[in-house]
Amino acid sequence: MDWQLRPARDTELSPVARLRSHSREVGLAGAVVQGLWRRGVRSYLRLFHQLDVVGRENLPADTPYILIANHSSHLDAMSLGAMLRGPAARRAFALAAGDVFFGSVRSSAFAAWAVNALPVWRKRTSSKDLNGLRERLEQDQLVYILFPEGTRSRNGEMGRFLPGIGALVAAGPVPVVPCYLEGAYACWPASRRYPRPGKLRLTIGAPLEFSAIANDKAGWMEIARQCEQAVRGLKG
Amino acid sequence: MNDAFAHPVTVGIVAATGAVLLLAALVIGGMTLLGRGTPAFRRELWLRYGSWLVLLPLMFGPVLLGKAWTIGAVTILALLCLSEFARATGLFREYVTTAVVALGILAVNFAALDNWYRFFVALWPLTTVILLVATIPLDRPAGYIQRNALAIFAFMLLGVGLGHLGYMANDPGYRPLVLMLLAAIALNDVAAFTWGKLIGGRKLLPNTSPNKTVSGAVGALCTTTALVAFLGHLIFAGTAMDHWALLLFLGVLVSVAGQCGDLMLSSIKRDIGIKDMGAALPGHGGIMDRFNSLLLVAPAVFHLINYVVGIGEGQPTRVLTGG
Repeated sequence: MDWQLRPARDTELSPVARLRSHSREVGLAGAVVQGLWRRGVRSYLRLFHQLDVVGRENLPADTPYILIANHSSHLDAMSLGAMLRGPAARRAFALAAGDVFFGSVRSSAFAAWAVNALPVWRKRTSSKDLNGLRERLEQDQLVYILFPEGTRSRNGEMGRFLPGIGALVAAGPVPVVPCYLEGAYACWPASRRYPRPGKLRLTIGAPLEFSAIANDKAGWMEIARQCEQAVRGLKG
Repeated sequence: MNDAFAHPVTVGIVAATGAVLLLAALVIGGMTLLGRGTPAFRRELWLRYGSWLVLLPLMFGPVLLGKAWTIGAVTILALLCLSEFARATGLFREYVTTAVVALGILAVNFAALDNWYRFFVALWPLTTVILLVATIPLDRPAGYIQRNALAIFAFMLLGVGLGHLGYMANDPGYRPLVLMLLAAIALNDVAAFTWGKLIGGRKLLPNTSPNKTVSGAVGALCTTTALVAFLGHLIFAGTAMDHWALLLFLGVLVSVAGQCGDLMLSSIKRDIGIKDMGAALPGHGGIMDRFNSLLLVAPAVFHLINYVVGIGEGQPTRVLTGG
């Protein structure tokens, strides 16, 4: 018998501090809210964007893994999160820009309770934060949804991938699943306040594995390069 | 609402609480003006005081407003405590089990609202049975004993234990009784702290709670018993409860069960290795850290009074379900 009392990582944080914490764990209430949100997003994407998912068989059967994609719209994270099913969907955290989603308590509450996002602060996310995220990914068997470009493309063209993704997976067992979402820029570019209907097509590629690449700066750059290449390769 | 202040004990407790709050504000304000104590200590005092200013209306308000409000407030309190307990023990990772405990809490409080005592009592074993079978279909025996033990523990404390507090509201004269309990457990904590500081001496249970002393425990026992016996005499005047031995027993029961509730939560926290159950109440810690004493006091007091004079005797039963 394995008798373990393992408190939530965020047990002693106040409800407000918990929203922005990388230690946030989802309980029953959060799971219900996120399940409802996911259902709503799925219906929306089906009705207004006829989201077409290709290559679902490439998703690993078990967590943990990281989903990466090109980034040109808020529809990206919604599409990636909504296409997941079962335990993977419940364990998925979207790594989101802190200044966009975690500015106020109200937006943090939405990002935490509905989207299940974790904040990444541009230029302020330390290697300690990244190591913490990396440890949690493996220990809690999570799925991270992240966009290695770091920000939404302002012209629809995919930008360079930043090396942060490498720090999460270099020399480790966690696979990275490259995805390419087409049509999101036309529907909801960064310049628009609200989305307009339009077709979306999500292509999921074969998982990449980086256990043989060193966990250092050169390794991270190499991983970012390989990831970028894989995502570009999925562009139809 | 017209009955809210019908009993002099209700008026007395509300007035005394208001007076204590005012006095506390004057004392802390005086310390701030005169620069007494360290800034960190004063900040801590103001934080605690601010929490009380929010908490007291939330505790007293529903009791004064009426039965449905009281039971509603107890239900919300129980669910908030469940959330903290589940997160602290790791039970929260078991969604099905946590959901059954939450439903059990809702059902027990519904039975209280309905004034349906048989259903209220039947729910204790029935919820346990449902808990024990709920996760069998998942075909995941690993952790079965742990999740169910924690779930039954949570349900018994938060569903059944706190449920008794709500059930008291079925008695037309519940207001002074419930307010007395709320005041007495607060006084019990303060008295234990104060007597412990004044007299000091041997630690009570150093491994469980390093700051508690034997003198504090005995001092709290005497102080709380005296207050409860005095107020009980006013509340139960002319009934079988109005006997000095029973009133003293009631007082001892409130103080001992209150202190045991405190030590029980300390044991839980020590076992897990955490300091507080949460951080929802600035200066206090979690919600359970504040209401721990109530968990054991409510059922103990309920059954003593129910045995001697009855609770809600002669009141309409099954007011919602009929029959």
